[in-house]
Amino acid sequence: MKIVVAIKQVPERDAQIHVTADGKWIDESDLNYAINEPDAYALEEALQLKEKNGGEVVVVCAGPERVTSTLREALAKGADRAIHIEADDLGQRDTLGVAQILADAVKTESPDLILTGLQSDDLGLGQTGVVLAELLGVPHATIIMQVELVDGGLKVKRELEDGWFQHVQMPLPALLTIQSGGNKLRYATLMGIKKAKTKETKTVTSSTAAGAQAVTLERVYLPEKQKKTEMLTGTPAEIAAKLVEKLKFEVRVI
Amino acid sequence: MVAGSLVALVGSRYAGSILLSGLSVSASLAEPERFSWPEAGLVVVCVLASATLFFWRFGPILRAIVHSKKDADFSLQPIGRRVWDFVWEVLCQAKVIKQRPLPGLAHAFVFWGFLAFALVSLNHLATGIRLGFLPPSSYVGGFYFLFAAAWALLVAVSIFGLFVRRFFVRPIWLGKKISYESGFIAFLIFLLMVTYLAAFFVDEGGAAVKALWWTHTLALLVFLPLIPHTKHLHLVLSPLTVFLKRDGFSKIPPLAGDEDFGLVAGKDVTQLISLQAYSCVECGRCTEHCPASTTGKVLNPKEIILGMRSYLNEFGPASEMSLLTEGRVTSPDNPPAKYMSMEAAFECTTCGSCEYQCPVGIQHVPIIVGMRRGATNTGIWEDTYGTKLFLALEKNGNALGLSATERDKFIQKQALPIFDGTQEYCLWLGCMGGYDPKGREIIADFARVMNHLGTTFGVLKKEKCTGDPARRLGNDLVFQTMAEFGLKALETAKVQKIVAICPHCVRTIANDWREYGIAPEIEHHSEFMARYKDRLPKQASGESIVYHDPCYLGRYQDVYEEPREIVARAGTLVEAPRSHERSFCCGAGGGLAFLGEESGERVSHVRASELAGTGAQIVGTACPFCNTMFRDALSAVSTTPPQLLDIAQLTARALPETQEMSK
Amino acid sequence: MSGVLVVMEQRAGTWNKMSFEALAAGQLLAAKLGVGVGAAVVGDGLQTLGAWSSSGKVDAAFAVEHALLTEYTADGYMAALEQLIKRLAPAYVLFPHTYQVRDFAPALATRFKQVLISDVIAIHDGPVFVRQLLQGKLNADYRQTGDGPCFVSVQAGTFRAEEQQNTAVAMEIFTPTLESTQIRNKPGELFRESAQTVDLSVAPVIVSVGRGIGEQENIGIVEELAAALGAELAASRPICDNGWLPMERQVGSSGQTVSPKLYLAVGISGAIQHLVGMKGSKAVVAINKDENAPIFEVADYGVVGDLFEVVPALTRAVLAAKS
Repeated sequence: MKIVVAIKQVPERDAQIHVTADGKWIDESDLNYAINEPDAYALEEALQLKEKNGGEVVVVCAGPERVTSTLREALAKGADRAIHIEADDLGQRDTLGVAQILADAVKTESPDLILTGLQSDDLGLGQTGVVLAELLGVPHATIIMQVELVDGGLKVKRELEDGWFQHVQMPLPALLTIQSGGNKLRYATLMGIKKAKTKETKTVTSSTAAGAQAVTLERVYLPEKQKKTEMLTGTPAEIAAKLVEKLKFEVRVI
Repeated sequence: MVAGSLVALVGSRYAGSILLSGLSVSASLAEPERFSWPEAGLVVVCVLASATLFFWRFGPILRAIVHSKKDADFSLQPIGRRVWDFVWEVLCQAKVIKQRPLPGLAHAFVFWGFLAFALVSLNHLATGIRLGFLPPSSYVGGFYFLFAAAWALLVAVSIFGLFVRRFFVRPIWLGKKISYESGFIAFLIFLLMVTYLAAFFVDEGGAAVKALWWTHTLALLVFLPLIPHTKHLHLVLSPLTVFLKRDGFSKIPPLAGDEDFGLVAGKDVTQLISLQAYSCVECGRCTEHCPASTTGKVLNPKEIILGMRSYLNEFGPASEMSLLTEGRVTSPDNPPAKYMSMEAAFECTTCGSCEYQCPVGIQHVPIIVGMRRGATNTGIWEDTYGTKLFLALEKNGNALGLSATERDKFIQKQALPIFDGTQEYCLWLGCMGGYDPKGREIIADFARVMNHLGTTFGVLKKEKCTGDPARRLGNDLVFQTMAEFGLKALETAKVQKIVAICPHCVRTIANDWREYGIAPEIEHHSEFMARYKDRLPKQASGESIVYHDPCYLGRYQDVYEEPREIVARAGTLVEAPRSHERSFCCGAGGGLAFLGEESGERVSHVRASELAGTGAQIVGTACPFCNTMFRDALSAVSTTPPQLLDIAQLTARALPETQEMSK
Repeated sequence: MSGVLVVMEQRAGTWNKMSFEALAAGQLLAAKLGVGVGAAVVGDGLQTLGAWSSSGKVDAAFAVEHALLTEYTADGYMAALEQLIKRLAPAYVLFPHTYQVRDFAPALATRFKQVLISDVIAIHDGPVFVRQLLQGKLNADYRQTGDGPCFVSVQAGTFRAEEQQNTAVAMEIFTPTLESTQIRNKPGELFRESAQTVDLSVAPVIVSVGRGIGEQENIGIVEELAAALGAELAASRPICDNGWLPMERQVGSSGQTVSPKLYLAVGISGAIQHLVGMKGSKAVVAINKDENAPIFEVADYGVVGDLFEVVPALTRAVLAAKS
């Protein structure tokens, strides 16, 4: 079974954020980059499926030169091949634009299954996978916790609100967006890194130039509210009343 | 101790001759009358047979050792140290005696006796082939044989005592099984001494002399071939083992080349490890002091070494068979190896008690870490907490998996200066100092002490973990990343001197990082403060403070007195029952602070009980990990637990500035 | 093209409450633009939803019904809504940002060569839609720059649905054309995980107890609070070590890692080994008598006080609010 995993390289989760002078994006000069965490779970799922059912895992990533390090990490964890879609202009592409160049690269591989994380740690739109499925014309399912290969296709476990789950039967080829935490991630080993040196990374150019966007990110800015601890004071009864109000309207658990 | 032995030597010689003359026997050894040619021929045949048997048994062992992988980083330099270790540990039997005084001394007598007997045995056999060169009637001969007789007495008494200890007292560290072989060999040694001594009491030239001669010879020749396959191989190997030990304590050798992932199979076992495995005397001193073994875990350092020996005997040094049992296919015919297992290997806190006191120079820690490397570097170690730790180090650069901004917040809140090249010291926070509430308190207090002393310091803007837990757990990939990052950060910031509150940081930066570069000099805050102890407040509180020696400061770096000097200025120093190089681990080392629940008794609780049991009012620590481990442990073992304070906190509380602030 | 169309959500005859929040957002947007607002809901046998009412105006409402839409499938819903949108030609299509919407709305937008502006937290004049980036560290303004309907989904809890709904809404039936071959996935029954083992990692609300509780007998008051909140009970390590609560309830570096919507820490100091297990919580409330306890550094709401007084008071207040 050939599995393609579409991964994204994003700024480190705990990086310090500084908005550029023109307010268009953040200052990237001091940033470290890492694999988008939900994509790491997608890769883990792909590797486990390969270990169970045999086949090949190909990782695909679009972006500038620096994304090759994330591809190498993926190879070190066990992926067989990597495809780097050269694109220095991801900032000028909307979801549809990015999904288009991914789709064109993935199409050439004719995979049985495409996996991706359910959303990215930076933009968090949570759509690329679904749009990709639509462009490729394959059925999809989102927020998947478990994947099982069965006769005639897949049986997947989908997460819903409030602790509900659902199994879905799907034909192949298909696309799934994977939820974090479904599997235990593996760590990159020394042996993996050494083996990665011998695996193929293919570089391709973007199939289309960045065109007009349907939706544009106009500007970014820091939210006014920063996290501060609000201390509640008064008699126990007063504190209780204030807390209940917070839990009801701010935290929304009552 | 050496002087004492010399006195004993000389004294016994005189005592011997006085005794013998008092018994009115000739104070000289009766030699058998000249051997006939057929007799001499018989002697030659016996000697040859014995030697052949010996080499037939020793050959495979020698082959196993020589055919093992070469140690890539081995060097005979510094030769001086090796010679000193040889003299001190082998010739003077220092470790043997120090760690178990009475049995140790008995063994030392047996050893020295054997050395003293060298000429005797040589002459004895030479006599058998008509080439005796030391006549008892000569002045040298007369002196020497009496001298040897004194030793024979000592050896006989000692071996008898050791026999009683092994077979009647039965200390558990020697193992539960009765070793008939040991008993037989003890008997042989006893027989050798008795037959020698008896020769002083019989008439020259009689049949008795011949009989004694043959008994003595046969005892010797039977003993020889028994050596290779018993623990008595250490007679041959251990002087070499001690001399060739890897330089440095708990020294983890660098990986050699692209195919080296640690100790995966026999083919990865190096010559030093093979030599050490065959040198083990099974004395059990390592197990006796191992925190894991004494709290009910599977890990038993002695069994690891013996397991290595069994492996080499069964599979050889070129084998691809996995060292650890989890890597093998087991069946009823091929049951799992209990001790050579991932479970055992990952219970080690790397406290170093085993390696520190091994009298034959076995270095356990690199072997255990080597096996961990084999499991972690190849990915077969699947542990939830271990994986979490490695991912945390990769992503967040600290072992706790917290955002690096938490460290920044602490620096801001505490107003710690940033290192900009103008200050004298770089204060290394470490993971505990940067993220743990208690570790942060220690940093804050130490910063106060440095300010009081007028020492300029700064902290690095961006600091990642030294990689110590990854190193000890065998993940060379993560360790390399951390080490290279750290070296670069220190170089870029132009740091010349570092001071840290955590012995793990100090050891890792000073030693383990050498594989990737040389870091600026680094010292522990106890060493720093001890230098200025006269300027630190002398507290008249009179509180009793029991000081706990951290493994990574004590055994690893030989820093024992400096922290004590600081404790002595803060109160009355109290020693724990096991202190200095015998200090008992807190349980956090070897990456274990980050792994899950431990089986058996909690190591931290055992030590906490010991510390609380001294009745001291305060437990003084010098390591933030020890501090964390004892925090919960002391409350768990005592309803009125002693206070727990780092040496920096003990000092800072009495600083005039602190007193001002609390007014 | 004109107007705002709000797509609401139901399952098996019960509304997903977020639908009304999306409706409120749609009404807000429509008012800003001075255009009409319509609503639509997809399914089958929608008369079981019963009559519903809105507090603001709804110019038209559609029940998109078809036998093949009884169960949610992306293929079915997309095909149906595609047809409705083509018929109505709204300028804006709004959704509540539910699990279900995340599953099909992006692909639906693709069919119109659009991109869904998802998980919006505010609508400003323009219209400019505000989203959060980098796990809430940054806000971003999005604007539609292409032609065609603009697809937007709104975050839960950002647009308050009014309590009173007073204008009754009548729905027009819209029957899309669907073939069973269009529907490629076969969804199964909904189920919950077995309740035997405690899986704190999926609990939405956790009440956690630490050493401040003092004695084992006192845990009862925390249990009552947990019951009142419908929360799972958890504990820091010393409590589990003493055997007062089972090990599986331990949160921390050697226990479970949790990320609930609410983590209520009672009598927990906030030692690092505990913090690493709950730092992913969306909201943290801490009750501790020590104002310097490290737990307050990660808490959104803190109470410095005696838990033996605050906790029972809180339990009473919660029960009162829920009744």
